[in-house]
Amino acid sequence: MDRSTKPTPRPPKPTSDLSAESPDGVDLTLIQWTLSLTPLERLELLQDWVDGLAELRNGRVSER
Amino acid sequence: MDGSRSVRFRGLLQALLRHGVDFFVVGGVAAQLEGAPIVTFDLDILYDKTPENLDRLLGVLQELKARYRDPAGRHIEPDLVRLETMRTHLLLTELGALDVLSQIGAGRTYRDLAGRTVLYELGEDRVRVLELAAVIESKEQANRDKDRAVLPVLRQTLVMKTGLRRGEENT
Repeated sequence: MDRSTKPTPRPPKPTSDLSAESPDGVDLTLIQWTLSLTPLERLELLQDWVDGLAELRNGRVSER
Repeated sequence: MDGSRSVRFRGLLQALLRHGVDFFVVGGVAAQLEGAPIVTFDLDILYDKTPENLDRLLGVLQELKARYRDPAGRHIEPDLVRLETMRTHLLLTELGALDVLSQIGAGRTYRDLAGRTVLYELGEDRVRVLELAAVIESKEQANRDKDRAVLPVLRQTLVMKTGLRRGEENT
């Protein structure tokens, strides 16, 4: 993935709307965001999440 | 690959496609591609068990230097007999964790679920993915703690995705 030319899609804006969460606690804004992405963007987002968690697990942060 | 590096989803998919393996994506990556915001650390695929496809699958697994994730630390590689007879293959490859499955949920096979897939374009690659409703069913049937944990997000995503589709149809 070429991060220099394909930035990670922007996350949803913060909202004070309490209905942004379902009764069982699911963040609806996060779902709205991922549904707005293309399939390729969704896969790249997952890759970014996994890479970020791996960096945290290994106790280091790479410069982006 | 050492344990400090994370899985390379596209690399694994491209290797499977390059070898012409008949498979589709299931599990967490399928859910994410269908729009559900969940994190998973491996790629799950469901494969067809024709002899020709087993040969192709074994070819890509050998290229990726796949071995079973054995808690005892033994080095066990997949082979045709195992791919033919075993349901679940939890593998570690040069590109990360790859779960190769011949059945999911309540014993559903590639042939059982092939009609419930969608084709996604990922750049220049075309990848078949289990539809979200079928992912939910497979997790309900598996009914492990980790499956139950993600079901609220998957169900809510399906509701919102269906709503979006209906909205588009009405405009």
